[in-house]
Amino acid sequence: MPELNAWAKNNRSMKTHNRRSFLRGLGLSGAALPFLAGLPGLRGKESAGPMQRLVIMFSPNGTLPNQYWPNPGENGLSLKPIMKPLEPFKDRLLTLKGVHNRIRGDGDNHMRGISCLLTAKELHRGNIQGGSHTPAGWASGISIDQEIRNHLQSQDSTRTRFGSLEFGVAVPNRADPWTRMSYAGSNKPLAPIDDPYRMLQKMYGRLKDRDSVVSILDDVSEDLKKVAGRLGQEDRSLLEEHLALVRQVEQDLKRAKDSSDNQHAEPELDPEIELVNDNTPQISRMQIDLLVNGFANDMMRVASLQFMRSVGQARMRWLDIEEGHHSLSHKPDKDAKAQQKLLKINTWFAGELAYLCKRLEETPEPGGDGNMLDHTTIVWLNELGKGNNHTLDNIPFTIIGGGLGFKMGRFLDMKGSPHNRLLLSLAHGFGHTIEKFGNPRLCGGGPLDLG
Amino acid sequence: MRQVDHRVTQAWVPFALAAVCLTNPAAAAETNAKTGESIYRRLCAECHGSQGQGVREEYKEPLVGDWALEKLTRFISRNMPEENAGLCVGEDANLVAKYIFNAFYSKRPPARKTLTRLTNRQYRESVADIFRKGPDEPGNREPGLKASYFNSKGMNKKDALKHKQVDQRIDFDFGAAAPIDGIKAEQFSIAWEGSLRTRETGFHEFRVTTPNGARLYVNVNLKDGDKNYRDDASKESQHALIDAWVSSGNKTRSETARIFLLGGRDYPIRLDYFKYKEKTGSIRLEWLPPRGAWSVPGAHDFSTHMPSRQLIIQTPFPPDDRSLGYERGSYISREWLEATTHAAVEVANQVDKGLGVLSGARAKDADKVERLKRFARSVLERAFRRPLDKEESKHYLDDRFKGAESPEVAVKRVVLLALKSPHFIYPDLLIQDKPDAHGIAARLALGLWDSIPDEQLLKAAIEGKPASRKEVAAQARRMLQDRRTRVKVQAFFHHWLDMDSEHDLLKDSRIYPEFGRESISDLRHSLNLFIDEVVWSASSDYRQLLLARHLPLNGTLARLYGKKVEGEGFQRVEFEQGRRAGLITHPYLLSTFSYPNNSSPIHRGVFLTRHLLGRSLKPPPEAVSFKENELDPSLTMREKVTLVTRERTCMRCHGTINSLGFSLEHYDALGRWRKLENKKPVNAASDYETEDGKMIRLRGARSLAEFAVNHEGAQKAFVRQFFHYMVKQPVDAYGEKALENLHRHFKKTNFNIISLTVEILCLSSMHGLKTTDQ
Repeated sequence: MPELNAWAKNNRSMKTHNRRSFLRGLGLSGAALPFLAGLPGLRGKESAGPMQRLVIMFSPNGTLPNQYWPNPGENGLSLKPIMKPLEPFKDRLLTLKGVHNRIRGDGDNHMRGISCLLTAKELHRGNIQGGSHTPAGWASGISIDQEIRNHLQSQDSTRTRFGSLEFGVAVPNRADPWTRMSYAGSNKPLAPIDDPYRMLQKMYGRLKDRDSVVSILDDVSEDLKKVAGRLGQEDRSLLEEHLALVRQVEQDLKRAKDSSDNQHAEPELDPEIELVNDNTPQISRMQIDLLVNGFANDMMRVASLQFMRSVGQARMRWLDIEEGHHSLSHKPDKDAKAQQKLLKINTWFAGELAYLCKRLEETPEPGGDGNMLDHTTIVWLNELGKGNNHTLDNIPFTIIGGGLGFKMGRFLDMKGSPHNRLLLSLAHGFGHTIEKFGNPRLCGGGPLDLG
Repeated sequence: MRQVDHRVTQAWVPFALAAVCLTNPAAAAETNAKTGESIYRRLCAECHGSQGQGVREEYKEPLVGDWALEKLTRFISRNMPEENAGLCVGEDANLVAKYIFNAFYSKRPPARKTLTRLTNRQYRESVADIFRKGPDEPGNREPGLKASYFNSKGMNKKDALKHKQVDQRIDFDFGAAAPIDGIKAEQFSIAWEGSLRTRETGFHEFRVTTPNGARLYVNVNLKDGDKNYRDDASKESQHALIDAWVSSGNKTRSETARIFLLGGRDYPIRLDYFKYKEKTGSIRLEWLPPRGAWSVPGAHDFSTHMPSRQLIIQTPFPPDDRSLGYERGSYISREWLEATTHAAVEVANQVDKGLGVLSGARAKDADKVERLKRFARSVLERAFRRPLDKEESKHYLDDRFKGAESPEVAVKRVVLLALKSPHFIYPDLLIQDKPDAHGIAARLALGLWDSIPDEQLLKAAIEGKPASRKEVAAQARRMLQDRRTRVKVQAFFHHWLDMDSEHDLLKDSRIYPEFGRESISDLRHSLNLFIDEVVWSASSDYRQLLLARHLPLNGTLARLYGKKVEGEGFQRVEFEQGRRAGLITHPYLLSTFSYPNNSSPIHRGVFLTRHLLGRSLKPPPEAVSFKENELDPSLTMREKVTLVTRERTCMRCHGTINSLGFSLEHYDALGRWRKLENKKPVNAASDYETEDGKMIRLRGARSLAEFAVNHEGAQKAFVRQFFHYMVKQPVDAYGEKALENLHRHFKKTNFNIISLTVEILCLSSMHGLKTTDQ
């Protein structure tokens, strides 16, 4: 079988090649339309007010406070090393110190760190045991991203196909309070999708299936014609009927394909990335591209981007780090080598955030003014303030972008405010003026004044 | 139509002759040269049309029916012309009846075998078998599930395997204690695995209830080795149907999910469970099978062997045509085309996901492409039910692999093409006139399984077998042993007994508080058990279906029907002389054909007329609703029905319907025996007039059953309906004497259903062949 040998010869890495070919074969390859974010006219409706979007970006295991909090300067901020990649966005950035996760109760700090981060409410009792403290279950309330999503979905002018999409990067496939930050409600954790191909399938899957059908219909018609010719008149009419319907469907599908080829800007994904730890940097970029594409096509207005999980043990060999992240985060402050590595890790996360900002900034706001970053607020957060003492105080909150009326280019110390109040500020920014969120006893003073 | 408010779509005249208004009395005097035809022209044609085709505004139904000549003659002389009865009697009636009978009444259009596509059932079953890995009937099936009990330690849920056993069901309340000795009560874990056998096709809902952690997997390939035992098996782990791993809130939680499964197949099932410091431990697995009730699946639903995952289409299909009384793939609609297209895409995507397991080709294999190609070839050959010839090989296989971007894409395209191809969809396409061995094999597999030939059949066909009648019969007998034959035969009975229609069996709970969904589900199971027992016994005697005096009952049902059962499960319960007669008095059917508050002789009568005796009924000439509350409350049900249907136009059909329905009046709405109805003694006696006009005295259910088993019309009706369901073509298309011959065989073998099955398969699968020994 000569053509089979050709296969083998031409492909040093069969696996790699196949993934690419696979996607291309389904009409989704790099040869497909270039990544056109935000074609005007994609939106079916005009927004009532200016466009507003929200991204929650999570990275785990605490930060290095002395490498993170900026020095307040007279002329803008002076960023510390971890934040250096965000230098181009310095004026659109708001860093908040002194915001504490005050949720106590069951579960260790890692668990409450992530599962109460967006819910600001206690965990249920449960059967998941951390390294210390009592076992716990799921969060007992909705998370702020979902609260805002529901608010947007409740109105015609802001309703979108998905409302929100939950992206993950290297999130292990297990459901427990360490791996979930978004909740549709009490006991209703939402799983982030950490496979870009699966996310692509979710966003564009039907198109993909349609293309595979189109690819074989000609052959089916041929077959039907051929066999119909060999039948008597009475039986032939059934096949002719069948053939007519196949042609009808074929035309409908082709018409649909033509019109959507002109409309939809399917993202260009590098098709050869295996979902393994070492490919995390590529996977991260693919997910960010998809996220921006989803926004550009107004599939959703809320997104989360979750890197790993609380207590995540990612081995970031792409940064020349062999140890697991969580183990490193436990090393004492005086361990200079570990500090150096943690600096690299956290700076890498800031770099991914910067990429997201850049992608949004370089994409003109579809049908509106400015660029997409002007209308998107990104909140970067972490489940701990500091890794080696597991504190839930001084969670590193950084807000970038625009659209919610916050005054940017600042570093503020909120002096021990419960983080419930910050979450309230986000809701109010979207015009969702709820008075309490999460544990109502921690909402005193209302939303933080960030304007 | 006066009023369309008929709960019953009942009863119509097999035939009726309408009124003739004699506009020209002189014509009546012309009596010379009387023939049947001239009488017909003179007295009948005005309302019935020159060829009996019917006349709009007069009597529009064509004069076609199943009455014998004698009965037709009698009817004419008594009733015709309507409103002028008596004009056509004696020799005139004889002549005109004979003319009508021969000219059009008894003639049916000549039957012919038509090209049909796969029915929905055939499509789903075939797809499952195209992608089936290996046989799934292991020799040693042990009921129950394999259970492994572990001690756990901290976050290691399966620290040490302490004990293995077989559990009959998953329904445990451990309280605060350990499940077995030697395990700590505070934290432990258990894994159950094995196979689940479904009964009927449809959506199956599952429910896991626990205050602890649990994951349920249904129809997934489980991992080799200990990977199943790790709760963090990461992305390699299979998708759980129900993930209730995290206990949350210290309350007992119930989670449900549903999945479409084909009946009579084995699916891998696994439930992982652990307790960690919660105050109590308990776990229950329940299911809601199609047409069933929520219950804990028991030992007979499980077995300890681990079958492979089955590829089951989840896409819904529009219903098949049943206009001829059995499902046939006789029409192509846009909905059907779209459904099968979605189904093909669904299958292709599923195959793509599991390609490694299905094809045995791993990314590392040097011969991966060859393996994928071999797999693609096997898909095509199974779908087309024959090996590919050279040209087909090139077209369906080589060209796909050449043209595609990768062998994986090629496989996907081959799958799509195979399932959309006329060679798959029209199984009888090119062999209609003269089947070769592959054609015979294909027909056998469809006839007995509604599916594709198995490896043995394919292998035989390559050697040119089966070719002779003896070889075909031998194959059919072998195939009878396969579980799929039982499933199909059972599906026939569901069809015959109208168990596959949507009937609401629930009764008025004020009158029958003890009869709920569980009773209905149990009764259905009882009826299935009864049918299986009779059909698959050594004598396989059709007559037992109607004459048996016992019912399989469990404890709850036994109490409901005034009996006692010792021990667990369903057991044979004998009834008193004369009180039960097989299917006819099975409580499932009796309550299916009942009102919520009482028996319904009309529903029962229609069912018996059409299904048991195989007679045709036309829809009622005018809809009359049975408004019980407007009738004298002191009347019995029989009296009410008699009153409501007393009109002559009604009685043309209700004469038949009522007499049959009344014979079951000893059974209430639940099918329980009763002596009194509305405080009066039950009268179950009636006179039933047969097709050939004979009057039969029926004295109740038993006497009806005895009449039916000995009545050739009923026997033939069974053979005909069985043939149609199995073969999905009209029996008359297999020769003028086909039904006659099958019936003779049936009688000769003491009404052996299994033997009849083989006979039907020999006849239908060899059709078109001229063999010496046929």
